[in-house]
Amino acid sequence: MMDSCVRCSNCKFLPALQIKSQRFSHICPSIERYNFHAYSGGGRMIMASALLKGRIQFTPEMLDVLYRCTNCGGCEVACKWVYDLEPNEVIHQLRVHAVESGVGPLPRHRKYIELVERTHNPYGEPPDERPAWLPSDVRVNDASETLYFVGCTAAYRREEIAQATARVLNAAGEEFRLLGSEEFCCGSPVYRVGDRKRAIEIMQHNVELFKEQGIRRVVTSCAGCYNMLKVEYPRNVETDFEVVHISQLMEDLLKTGRLRPVRELPLRVTYHDPCHLGRMAEPYERWEGQRVEVLTLVYLYDPPRPERRGAKGVYDAPRNVLAQIPGVQLIEMERIREYAYCCGAGAGVKSAYPDFALWTAGNRLEEAEATGADVLVSCCPFCSTNFKDSIRERESRMKFYDLTELVWESIRGDDIQE
Amino acid sequence: MIDKSVYEELKAIVGEDNISIEPAVLETYAFQWCNEVDSALRGEQPTRFGHRPLAVVLPNTTEEVQGIVRLCNRHGLKFKAFSTGMGPWASVSSEDVIQIDLRRMNRIIEIDRRNMYAVIEPYVTNAQLQAELLKYGLMHNAQGAGPQTSPLASHTSFFGPGFTSAYTGYSGRNLLGVEWVMPSGEVLRLGSFDHCGKWFSGDGPGLSLRGLIRGCAGACGGLGVFTKCAIRLFAWPAPKDWHWQMRGTIPDYEWNTPPFWKMYILNFPDWEHYEAAFYEINDRGISIMATASSPEGLAAMFTNTRMEAIEVIFAGLLMRAQRYFVVLVAAHTEREFQFRTRLVRAIMERNGGEDLIEQGVITPRSMHYAESVRNMLGAHAFRFSNCFQSTHGGMDTIALTVRIAQENRPIKEKYIQRRLIGDDRGEGLWTTAYEDGHMAHLETPTIYDPTSAESCIGYSQYQSECNELDLKKALCIPFFIMGDRAHEYYSPRTMNYQRWLRAIKTAFDPNGVSDGSHYISPEKSKKEDG
Repeated sequence: MMDSCVRCSNCKFLPALQIKSQRFSHICPSIERYNFHAYSGGGRMIMASALLKGRIQFTPEMLDVLYRCTNCGGCEVACKWVYDLEPNEVIHQLRVHAVESGVGPLPRHRKYIELVERTHNPYGEPPDERPAWLPSDVRVNDASETLYFVGCTAAYRREEIAQATARVLNAAGEEFRLLGSEEFCCGSPVYRVGDRKRAIEIMQHNVELFKEQGIRRVVTSCAGCYNMLKVEYPRNVETDFEVVHISQLMEDLLKTGRLRPVRELPLRVTYHDPCHLGRMAEPYERWEGQRVEVLTLVYLYDPPRPERRGAKGVYDAPRNVLAQIPGVQLIEMERIREYAYCCGAGAGVKSAYPDFALWTAGNRLEEAEATGADVLVSCCPFCSTNFKDSIRERESRMKFYDLTELVWESIRGDDIQE
Repeated sequence: MIDKSVYEELKAIVGEDNISIEPAVLETYAFQWCNEVDSALRGEQPTRFGHRPLAVVLPNTTEEVQGIVRLCNRHGLKFKAFSTGMGPWASVSSEDVIQIDLRRMNRIIEIDRRNMYAVIEPYVTNAQLQAELLKYGLMHNAQGAGPQTSPLASHTSFFGPGFTSAYTGYSGRNLLGVEWVMPSGEVLRLGSFDHCGKWFSGDGPGLSLRGLIRGCAGACGGLGVFTKCAIRLFAWPAPKDWHWQMRGTIPDYEWNTPPFWKMYILNFPDWEHYEAAFYEINDRGISIMATASSPEGLAAMFTNTRMEAIEVIFAGLLMRAQRYFVVLVAAHTEREFQFRTRLVRAIMERNGGEDLIEQGVITPRSMHYAESVRNMLGAHAFRFSNCFQSTHGGMDTIALTVRIAQENRPIKEKYIQRRLIGDDRGEGLWTTAYEDGHMAHLETPTIYDPTSAESCIGYSQYQSECNELDLKKALCIPFFIMGDRAHEYYSPRTMNYQRWLRAIKTAFDPNGVSDGSHYISPEKSKKEDG
């Protein structure tokens, strides 16, 4: 597959039909920032091919190129407009190969992986303090088969998201339980930097814990956790639970009238699709079959192999929720849905290359600002962290809210907090 | 291995972040689509990996490019610049060459609405430029290589037919001026800019330097570096209040097709009627697009997946489509639209044709209209096997393109029968006309498997045989007559043009610092000759 890349550079840009301006025509933060071809999806495929052919060996600079990428999947959906290639998948496999070869991941990644092993979260926070975000007024039902899987970032860094989520669930009468200090990292930060072995161990631990606790449904307010539980867990371990993102659940609760946003929020908002809730959230469908040559050198898959092109991510639910909040006016950015530009934080970038993470978030904020909106909304605590850092650094006039916060503000009836 | 002092000098010019000598980074510049064909033609094992450059640099300004070129002259090194860089002509030919990646020079310098030209840098892409031009109701000629490629590269240095060429012409003809870092490092601004700072004309009085720098096919990066160019613009045929909008999700989008746009697929029973109709449609200047392909090409153009294309082919398209071409009428007003569509119909009927859309044989969707004008349809050919390349090509007449198509078929069939290339029954072609039908371009896209040495070698043999045919039967200037080896073969039978080409190269690049592997080498100096 890797040698079929034609070095066309489509992986660097939005598919051309989606381009509305030069400024926001890029899809890959990495090539946009670092410029050498190696920093594109196609370039990394070529590196992988050269490595396999023995033309090059891992070096510190090559690892730098490999890890200065948020693995956001933008290159892959752009490539698949025409080609039958999977550059994002190749990047991930190259990281796995780097780890299995003993050269990867990077020291900063190793450090947080060690923390995950020791404290069950990449921040190294004490497990006992994981439930510290939980306000006393939130009702939890320990007998519920629905688990609110809080995730490390919401539990330790973006408590406001965990609190808003829990309160919204309470307001709707949707019962849930928590794992409290027993909750582990979902494995995302470990998996994304290529430490597949440890990530699978974490997945197995979590799956067994869910089974022991009788969990049938997992609700998450984190795009990264959602992606792992919904997409990567079934690829790697046996699962038997339903996974729902809070935006999907809120959409349903609004539709059935169990949530009633009453307070008008006079806000012009723009919505950022998190990669892990969007294009990367499209599940892999198991396929077994064969390649059949239907014309000379032209092959089809029998039965047809599902094409994972990013179209089946969670795009409508958050927008439908926003549409239900009185006073909120949604103004879309140029790059949305499967062609959204990454926030810049994921796949180990925020820890190893914080300057690059901020640079990327700055680009996205600039796009958000260009819409004329006052508020940037998203559905991911890790995006939230990076955007808030960037807003501070840029002294931007924009405010950032998680979708759960806006819904909570609208249903509780008090003044919105500045 | 680069000399440390050279590295330090380069670093001083472009900055530490914009130079790399890391093998993994250099490998990504050694790898190119069609290197496997070039290596097969040289009798080597086909591979996409060519030569690694000595270093890669990313200049940001013309002055930095000058600095790099002058450094190469001082140190006896070569350089090769590219913009978006797709194809072996973009890469270096030996390991003592500095690769200049012009990616950071991506500014649209000026859009002159009144005089209808744009001044751009090398890494502005077709899609980016079109998106900005549409805001002013303008468009440019985007070459067939695709929306992600560089219009500067096409206008200054390479071929230039595109899907809208019936309206927007050929890139080389639309070049209105360049800023050129010559192989000596000196900067020359061609055309009116040098006189008055405006780019309305590509030539001054007297000798056409524009002809020298590019001619028909361009120097493929072998004659210095073009750091800016001015290109001609055209009116975008849509109302002023119309804005580009896409809806839906991959792979099926809906485009807000402008009013007074209509596509036809005009199908004729034989070459004779096809040729007459194709000429007349172009001659009357009523179509923004007039492009022909094979039935397989039709399936590729107006579907969104490989599966869908194959289904259309097996549903009977091959039986229904004979000699066809696609016409896109795009009018500014209803009256103009009525006139043009009636004229298309009259030409179709006069030549015994039918409209395959009207007949329900295939139905282009709104997004295909958008892909037509954004020059994306050519890339659809990659859907079949992730790879194709074209033979023949060049600037001809419509009658000659028909003859090439006829002469090509038996040759292609031989290779198809040996299962070395994709089976399009020898029919695969892509044609567009420009300058009101006075000139036309034909190439014959051919699928091969880049991962199979046998297929790569088979394709390269087919390409050589096509080139020989073009020469023997005086059909056209073939694609890819590039580099000394090819020129030595062709030149003796074609007015010994090699002597003149070499004289140009020698005059501008006596030290041979501008890698001319896909252009020509300069005359050897007396010293070199001993």
